[in-house]
Amino acid sequence: MVRQPVFRQLQFAFALLAFCCCLIGCDAQASVVGQAHADGPAIFPPASVTPTPGGPGIPLRLLIPAIGVNAPIEQVGIDSNGDLGTPSASPWTDTGWYVNGPRPGEKGSAVIDGHLNRPGNTPAVFWRLYELRAGDEADVIDSNGKKLRFRVTDVEYYTPQNAPYQLIFGNNSGKYLNLITCAGDWIPSQHQTTQRLVVYTRLI
Amino acid sequence: MKMKKTRRSPGGLALLLCGMFALTSFFLFPASRAQAATPAFVRIIHASPFVATADVFVDGSPFLTSFAFGAIAGYSPVPPGSHKVQIALAGKGVSSAALTETLAIQPGGVYTVAAIGTKPTNLTLKVFVDSNLATNGMSKVRVYQLVPDGGWMDVMDNGKWMAGAAYQNATGYLTLSPGSAAFNLNSASMNRSLSLATTLQANIVTSIFAVGMFNGEPKAEIVTAQTAALPGLPQTGSDPAPILSSGGQLSTPWLLLALALVIVGGTLFTRRLFAH
Repeated sequence: MVRQPVFRQLQFAFALLAFCCCLIGCDAQASVVGQAHADGPAIFPPASVTPTPGGPGIPLRLLIPAIGVNAPIEQVGIDSNGDLGTPSASPWTDTGWYVNGPRPGEKGSAVIDGHLNRPGNTPAVFWRLYELRAGDEADVIDSNGKKLRFRVTDVEYYTPQNAPYQLIFGNNSGKYLNLITCAGDWIPSQHQTTQRLVVYTRLI
Repeated sequence: MKMKKTRRSPGGLALLLCGMFALTSFFLFPASRAQAATPAFVRIIHASPFVATADVFVDGSPFLTSFAFGAIAGYSPVPPGSHKVQIALAGKGVSSAALTETLAIQPGGVYTVAAIGTKPTNLTLKVFVDSNLATNGMSKVRVYQLVPDGGWMDVMDNGKWMAGAAYQNATGYLTLSPGSAAFNLNSASMNRSLSLATTLQANIVTSIFAVGMFNGEPKAEIVTAQTAALPGLPQTGSDPAPILSSGGQLSTPWLLLALALVIVGGTLFTRRLFAH
């Protein structure tokens, strides 16, 4: 009879301890995101690109104040499926610039992608990309230390099969920077979402 | 104060419902809005032996000036819809156009438009639908047969038959390994051949245009255009409820489940401990 209150106290303490551990674990995971953003720019040496004299340098960091993005930019190519590659060094906190296309600030469509979410649906770098609207601004810091400012002109959703690829990757009528992430519902059998979000911006 | 009771007519109600539906569609289906405004991309090649250096007008406005035979303009954005395309001798103005045609341009479409024809009565625009999507690590090649007296032309690469096309047609896209290539475009009817030695690059689309005349001027030749192959859209989403993340580490929901099991196990253990 004496043991029962002690047992209940221990039971409660154990549960409380476990709950605190859970919270600390989740918070630690979230903190990793914050730390990655707060770090200095990650330098990815140009493996396949050389700076153009007088032109914009290699993009190193993307800043979108409206949605709290301040992320390093990796270089990505085309993956084994023929799709645009995604950041690999820090998949959830970095963004990826399509290295076979123009640099941000050059004539043509520069493209930067980033993950929407992590496994388990916690936020990744472009979690809030959908919040951008025409008129919002995005900055790219390049390897010359120059800040290039872009203004959002359009926000569109496409299914991967029906996207205007030439518009996204091959519009040479101006100096564009297009930001891409996933949207829509998750399709487990295809291991992808139903849609893609493309934010079109133009150098100002 | 007496409230005035109004009665909606059936027509007004239908109008209201239509309006609500339109508004709902506008906000719920952004993709359909996008398609309506998405520009197409058009490139033009001058392949008409009849017309010398020309100016090209679209909807009455200059689009290309001093466009020489065999020249290829890069892809330019064009609003979807119907467009009047006119071609006139350079400097003569749109009113003296030798060719006037209306083209229907689909949203997001990618087109090669070839000006062809050997005399005023057969001048025309031939439209090809292009696809510049990348095949990872490979090179893509397409041959456009625009030699009026060439008939059917076989496309050979290092002596191996690859494809063939009749006049005013194009082959499908050939997916080839990067490296050196030696193309021959053979016209059996004319017993003539056009040759091209080139180096194919990964993720590059090479368009090979056979233009000119085997018997006549300008002489038959090959002109090429290269454009970067376009990647598909990236997969930047993650499984919202995975068992294991890609890195082999337990993700948050499963971590919570594991901890819940520890709690239950710990509770049962302590209960048993204090029971004795």
